Amino acid sequence: MAGSMHLSRLRNWFLASPPIEFAINTLKELLVGALRQGPIPQHVAFVMDGNRRFARSHGIETVEGHNLGFEALARILDVCYKSGVKVVTIYAFSIENFKRSKFEVDALMDMAKVKLSQMTQHGDLLDRYGAKVRVLGRLDLLKPDVLAAVNKAVDLTSRNGDRVLNICFPYTSRDEITTAIRHTVEDYSKPLHPGNGHARTPFSESHIAHNIRAQTLGSKTHDTQSDSESTSAESSGQEDDNILRNDHANRIYESGSSFSSSTTLHLGQQDPQHPKTTVQGKTSDGESPAFISPETISRQTLSDHMLTKGTPPLDILVRTSGVERLSDFMLWQCHENTEIVFLDVMWPEFDLWHFMPVMLGWQRRISKSRQNPDAEGNFAGDSPESSEEDMDNMVLRQGKVKAV
Amino acid sequence: MVSQKDREILRAEIRSRNNKLNAADREDLLKPYLPDPSELSTPQRSRASTSSSQRRQKARKTPIRSFIKSQIHRLTYAITHIIFGIIVRLLQAYHAVVDRIFAIVYHHHRTPELIRKDVRGLKRIPQHLSVILTLRSEDDALAVLMDEVAELTAWSACAGIHQLSVYEKTGALKFCIPALHQIITTKLASYYGTPSHQPSLQLFAPHHPVHGDTPDPNSENPALALLLLSSTDGRETLVDLTKTLAEMSQNGKLSPEDITPELVDAEISEITTQPLQADSASGAAKILKPEPDLLLVFAPFLKLDGYPPWQIRLTEMYCTGDRNHALNGDGEAVEYQGFMRGLWHYAGAQMRFGR
Repeated sequence: MAGSMHLSRLRNWFLASPPIEFAINTLKELLVGALRQGPIPQHVAFVMDGNRRFARSHGIETVEGHNLGFEALARILDVCYKSGVKVVTIYAFSIENFKRSKFEVDALMDMAKVKLSQMTQHGDLLDRYGAKVRVLGRLDLLKPDVLAAVNKAVDLTSRNGDRVLNICFPYTSRDEITTAIRHTVEDYSKPLHPGNGHARTPFSESHIAHNIRAQTLGSKTHDTQSDSESTSAESSGQEDDNILRNDHANRIYESGSSFSSSTTLHLGQQDPQHPKTTVQGKTSDGESPAFISPETISRQTLSDHMLTKGTPPLDILVRTSGVERLSDFMLWQCHENTEIVFLDVMWPEFDLWHFMPVMLGWQRRISKSRQNPDAEGNFAGDSPESSEEDMDNMVLRQGKVKAV
Repeated sequence: MVSQKDREILRAEIRSRNNKLNAADREDLLKPYLPDPSELSTPQRSRASTSSSQRRQKARKTPIRSFIKSQIHRLTYAITHIIFGIIVRLLQAYHAVVDRIFAIVYHHHRTPELIRKDVRGLKRIPQHLSVILTLRSEDDALAVLMDEVAELTAWSACAGIHQLSVYEKTGALKFCIPALHQIITTKLASYYGTPSHQPSLQLFAPHHPVHGDTPDPNSENPALALLLLSSTDGRETLVDLTKTLAEMSQNGKLSPEDITPELVDAEISEITTQPLQADSASGAAKILKPEPDLLLVFAPFLKLDGYPPWQIRLTEMYCTGDRNHALNGDGEAVEYQGFMRGLWHYAGAQMRFGR
């Protein structure tokens, strides 16, 4: 035990010596620069797991473990943004985590508050280098002081460049999906305003009825046709004006129907012929307010109501600490084409060295699928292989199968 | 990439908890690590046009240096990928050999006793196992797939798993449930022998009737429920639920505030368990879990490929091919040793709710 401690101290001293440190940093810079040369995932998510277990195994306090975890986060964000990743999403705090000890929850909240408020002190630096910070989750569960820090940080960085850092703060994916469903339902249960309704739907039934009537009548009486001709001359045949005119005519028509007793309007002569239809149309409109049909809800509608709306699809999800579960994180986002990686390393130790193989593997697969145009957009490559190497490999494997 | 000295300063500051460093100090500490403004190659962010022109000037000053730098990066990229490729190939070869050895040591020989012996030492067995299979592109792909499903069913029945769900993206299996049932029964017969020893099998898919015999509560034979899933049971189902809820809300039958995770969970779970819940009411006491405990992915790397998202919240995932970063495009062959490795892995994992 003592020997290993001396060894680790010696190792730390060695690694911290200026020439070695310089060499390592140069190597890291070089590797990140090299990563940039290939395809780069647009959106990467991390589950920062293992802070507590790291602390336990190293005999330090849990809070200290979380602090080290924050350092690891800074390290990995540095790598991600320098290599060209646009969006990084991190799972900072689950709604379930409120069940932990009060001391730990408070410490985590405190850390979040301190980090966020420290960030806001560097206004100009953030403007130049900063990513857009967004906090996803149930903000209503936060204490007011933390919420204030969150809002300030989000506001301050909202105008920043195209890099985005999504912090899932009190978040669970089921909650996110449910909220998305609820918001969609709310959107769809807002009745359309009667006036807007006619403007939004391209054709209105009553207007078509009116047109048919106008046509049939127009062959007999000339004054309605001349009327429409004069308006069309004004509108100079442009589409927008045309719609406006239709709308205008429509409104006149409707007001005419509501005062159906008065026949002083220019369409008055038609009213006696078709009073029933207009009244029917009127009452049906009045009884049930018009809604957008629920059948128009699609996956995209729901995706647009998720907290991650507007970000590119998730390419890689990394979970550290060897736990091979999603734990309610990004379920909606990661169940299609995301590569999920579980690494057997505690988050505070997580560094470029662990992330590099993940990135390289992803780049390899992407460039393989790009070489093979049939597999475009589907990097699992459901089509037969084109690469000779892989053929060799498959032959090798088959040979082994046969040998067995 | 922060030097040890600066890291110590920062840590001491965090520990002391009183802000010794003010904003300016921290910025000084940070300065050496920030990239040179000229290196930021993001033209969109040049809100101030002056800074972008400065950047261009600076870039023009050192064209040779930046050219050499980019060439070095390109070279490094090529070299790292070559080295990585070699490592991947070596690992693949190594794992291929290990897999073969496993396949020899652990073979089921179509004997339920052997399979039972293999799982006896395990601390826990998943109640609900789920697998992701891929339909290959050959002509007899469907036949191969059905055979794989039959094998998996037999292994699961022998290992004492009560519920197996098979996900296949296209849903081809759902169209031939009777044929699949026939194949599985034949397969089970080859494992168990006479029908009286066979486990009772129930085969069903969402929105399809249950196919198979109702388990006899008095018999000692294990009962197995096999659920077929496809990509339409994923996002589509949630979309359908939203449509129904929106319609109800439009008709005033439901207020949006009533939509809670519990409601969604109940609705989604019912789809995968409903046909059997009716049975359990009639006597067959069997607990059906809508959420799988273990998800086995027979693919070169872990990709869910449209698997229903709602149910996999706490599911352990295991990919039979992910250790070797294999690049052969088709799904991995479904092998007994892969199945066993997944079960072992599951037994070794430590379960912690709420992280």
